[in-house]
Amino acid sequence: MNDEPRTCVRIADDLLAAAMGESEPRATQRVERHVAACAACRRQFHEYRAVDAAVIALREGPDPSPAAALARERMETRLADLRQRLLRYRIFPSPLGNILVARSELGISLVEYLERGNSVRASRLRNEPGVEAVEGGEDLEAVYRELLEYLDGRRRRLEWPLDLRLARSDFHRTVLRATAAIPYGAVIPYAGIANEIGKASASRAVAQALRWNPLPIVIPCHRVVGTSGALTGYAGSKLGLKQRLLSIEGVPTGRETGAPFIRPQAMYVRYPGDREYCVPTCPSLETRHPMPLTRFASRDRAEAAGLSPCATCRPDLHPLSR
Amino acid sequence: MSGEAFEAVVSAHHGEILRYLHRMVGHAADAEDLFQETFLRAFRAYGSLPGDANVRAWLFAIATNLARNHFRSETRRRRAYGEVRVSGRDAAAPMPEAETISRETGALVEGIVRRLPVRQRVAFTQRKIHGLDYEAIGRSLGCSAETARAHVFQALRKIRRSLDGHGLLPEEPQR
Repeated sequence: MNDEPRTCVRIADDLLAAAMGESEPRATQRVERHVAACAACRRQFHEYRAVDAAVIALREGPDPSPAAALARERMETRLADLRQRLLRYRIFPSPLGNILVARSELGISLVEYLERGNSVRASRLRNEPGVEAVEGGEDLEAVYRELLEYLDGRRRRLEWPLDLRLARSDFHRTVLRATAAIPYGAVIPYAGIANEIGKASASRAVAQALRWNPLPIVIPCHRVVGTSGALTGYAGSKLGLKQRLLSIEGVPTGRETGAPFIRPQAMYVRYPGDREYCVPTCPSLETRHPMPLTRFASRDRAEAAGLSPCATCRPDLHPLSR
Repeated sequence: MSGEAFEAVVSAHHGEILRYLHRMVGHAADAEDLFQETFLRAFRAYGSLPGDANVRAWLFAIATNLARNHFRSETRRRRAYGEVRVSGRDAAAPMPEAETISRETGALVEGIVRRLPVRQRVAFTQRKIHGLDYEAIGRSLGCSAETARAHVFQALRKIRRSLDGHGLLPEEPQR
């Protein structure tokens, strides 16, 4: 039907907008003038008003029906399940290569060196049963900043809430908690951790647990070394990273026939349970049952861990020479 | 990402999103499935949502995408169209005549809206039932606010034309 006068055609949109109460004041005036003169458009205008009134009657208030309440309940159940399983991750560049950091609602769940590439495809998240990983998480930005500060030696503590559910067993979690307590700038043998958790003969199992540490750097498994001082292992075959992390903390390391090790004779020691630290040649140590010792990179590090100088060997008066 | 913040999003919007989906798909069980999926998707993406985002528009956009995917399945579509919308407000209380007429017209309008092309239906429902602005509707449809507005107007024109002859519109002398 194309017999409408041109004014009616031109004003059609404004007329509809005015009937809906959405038009500009000037357009409204134009429409008012036009409908006063044009019966057909006046009729249209009123029809639109009637449609609008009918539609407004369709609007509903909050639906109190039992079906809606039930729908919400079922949705909340599925949501709770998802919240349990969901990890948000980001991948960041770092001096140690690309690092993936993931967190759950409980805390940081995963810090992972990405060997290959820069995508989650290279991550163990792909193979974690029951885990759903999504990229994103604004708050991981702050975590990343702190991590960089740490790797730069400007920060000594990473005090994040941790979620240890990616650890493979309760035994692994026990090992990780004991490892988390190793002070900055200190190292301890695998046997020392085994001792700490009351399973003195479980050094190998401790090493295995640390191999699967989901939170390297944060849970400082790099501070756990072989009894001989050899760095032994780190995140598969990343001994270089382990040496680097220890160097950041001031731990003296070297290489012998290509294999990195710490230099025990250049470090202060603590006998398990003592509140004092000694030089490694302290006579008091010779009289005691041999135990795995915690070693400190410096007197500062030992004292920062709350230890005082041994009264026998007086490391404060006779410090080690490097 | 804060869990409580998302709780607040759920509390504020679950009702209208369920109603919206119900209107869109017409089938209670399907609407509920899409409703659940909307909030699960929203939760997954919530961590990367900018702080100043229009959360309501974002939820409607997720719900709309899911509803449109749903429509693509032809069998479901037939079922959705074959069923009468179940509504909680079977008016028992007497009401003024004008309102009665409005409600009767309302039922007709609902039938017409259900047969509109999906974009017009989305735009109309979001604008006239849920009161979203054209910017927000544009987000749902992946178009500009201007185009969203054109969809709403197109829907209104069709509704007016379809109602013509039902005698529910005010009497005016013919041209």
